[in-house]
Amino acid sequence: MSGLLATVRIIWAIVKKDLLVMLRYPLNTFMMMVEPIMWLTPVYFLGRAFSSNSVARGFLATTGTGDFMTFVLLGTIAQSYISAAFWGMGMALRNDMTSGTLEANWLAPVSRLLLLFGKSVSSLVRTSLNLVVILALGNQLFGLEISAPFWKAGAYLLPMLIGLYGFGFAYAGLVLLLKDANVLTDVTNFLVSTLSGSSFPVKVLPTPLLMISLALPMTYGLDAIRSILLGIPPLVALGWESLILIIFALVFSLAGSYIFRRVDQHVRRTGTLSMY
Amino acid sequence: MSFMIEALSLHKEFPARKNGPSPGNGKNGDPRNDGGQRLFSPKARPQLVAVEDVSLTIQSGEIFGLLGPNGAGKSTTIRMLATLLEPSRGTARIAGFDVVRQPQAVRRRLGTVLGGERSTYWKLTGRENLEYFAALYQIPGGEARLRIQELLARLDLEAKANELVERYSSGMKQRLALARALLPRPPVLLLDEPTVGLDPQSARNLRQIIRELKEQGHTILLTTHYMEEADQLSDRIAIIDHGRVIALDTPRALKASLTQQEVCRLEAAGLPDPKPWASQIPGVQEVNCRFLTESQTWEVTLHLKDYRAAAPELLRLVTEQGGRVIQLSVKEPTLEDVFLSLTGKALRD
Repeated sequence: MSGLLATVRIIWAIVKKDLLVMLRYPLNTFMMMVEPIMWLTPVYFLGRAFSSNSVARGFLATTGTGDFMTFVLLGTIAQSYISAAFWGMGMALRNDMTSGTLEANWLAPVSRLLLLFGKSVSSLVRTSLNLVVILALGNQLFGLEISAPFWKAGAYLLPMLIGLYGFGFAYAGLVLLLKDANVLTDVTNFLVSTLSGSSFPVKVLPTPLLMISLALPMTYGLDAIRSILLGIPPLVALGWESLILIIFALVFSLAGSYIFRRVDQHVRRTGTLSMY
Repeated sequence: MSFMIEALSLHKEFPARKNGPSPGNGKNGDPRNDGGQRLFSPKARPQLVAVEDVSLTIQSGEIFGLLGPNGAGKSTTIRMLATLLEPSRGTARIAGFDVVRQPQAVRRRLGTVLGGERSTYWKLTGRENLEYFAALYQIPGGEARLRIQELLARLDLEAKANELVERYSSGMKQRLALARALLPRPPVLLLDEPTVGLDPQSARNLRQIIRELKEQGHTILLTTHYMEEADQLSDRIAIIDHGRVIALDTPRALKASLTQQEVCRLEAAGLPDPKPWASQIPGVQEVNCRFLTESQTWEVTLHLKDYRAAAPELLRLVTEQGGRVIQLSVKEPTLEDVFLSLTGKALRD
């Protein structure tokens, strides 16, 4: 089998396996799909309470758009990907550890980075499926529409995802080391999602928190996507945001792979792979 | 002569943990190199030696048993051969490929059952599991379907192939793990405690399958702490204890090493610890005693030169100690006796 075809087949096998396992827990799957819209519902009504004629005037003055709900919806989408990067690969490894299947996977004659990449694609597919449901439900329940085509934001979304999943590689390494990183994952995920402005414009943050926010590459990705899809002015010129995201993607994908390889080598030396 | 499995002076040590066993093999390990004086330095941590200077050479088509108690270093050895653990020292090769420098080439030639029934996805069906692992082993689709069908039939899993693994019995899960290991048609199989936790019938069936695999030319390294299993299946056996190989030969030769002796087993009730007085019986070379809590009796195994000469004295001493003989027998030496003779303890201890 040719190298590329075999690689695609391995990735597809991982995605298919994860989707099948997910579907064997139908209630969890249902909740995973509808949960984001449940969180969004009170925000929607709060937004309406602050709006007149569907325009939130104060919000318009701060951000350049009165469409509060679409602003938040785009933030929810970005937050879903950030959470997937945090939880997706690390949790997938953790699940394999606790169920006892990790060693069986790692005994296969394929690169462990490819196995991890397969898990990241799997996580991406599940998150994207989730987003389709969020958008469809948002449209049906609240009449939400994003009129600008999504592909225009792709140039910013793609490097952000690559960087995020590079970060996910490093995080998966951390899970291999710490075994149970749930609390750390929760706290970091919350801080990164919140400070990158997934549910509000970062401009409203007090200066110290704004400084942290501006140090997070995700802030620029989210800002660029909102700027393009909502036609609002970006925090810094889009060209700079693009450059920041490309550097983020390069640095984090390389660093993430490196860290994961080092941790893999470490657990092979210390013999802690099968411990959980 | 070329060997399918070669281990040369394999050595594995782990940093000791504050609480709990060494990571590789559970409980074993002698604390060494205790340099606890140097605070905060990683080198200051004591090391647990899990495998020490293990050398094995296994020929093509051979079933080689690694026999030892829990925590003896069997699993650590097999994990090093399977590329899951890096040896601290020494080298190992599978079909001529180095386990550290050529891990992918090694994994392509290995079928491995580690962790038994837990090594497959319980929320997938048996067939879905095999399809998934066939993709990981890069077996082309059509070929994979054929092999899966063949393995399901051969391992008697066909009828439940489309059921979730969580509904399988332990024996079926273990057979599925074996089917997964056999998917890439590997020349070498590493089976870590393949029958542990199985009922006697399932264990017997699995042993039969292992014999058939040998007939088909597979080289098999099998770890077990069941002596009968090692005896029945293995062409050669290495007895491992505290990380060291303490004997290596065919089962027959290992048992023959005790043929200069007779092995007498006495079960008696109402006795104090029999070791002190039993050792005094003329002609006794070795005494091993075990208190059986269930029956509240002592099991005394005596290795002696002439049972007939020693029996009257033995019976006299039991009576003198206020004991009552429940059972007395003389038997052919077993691997358990070999193990007892080498280590001074029972395999199950």
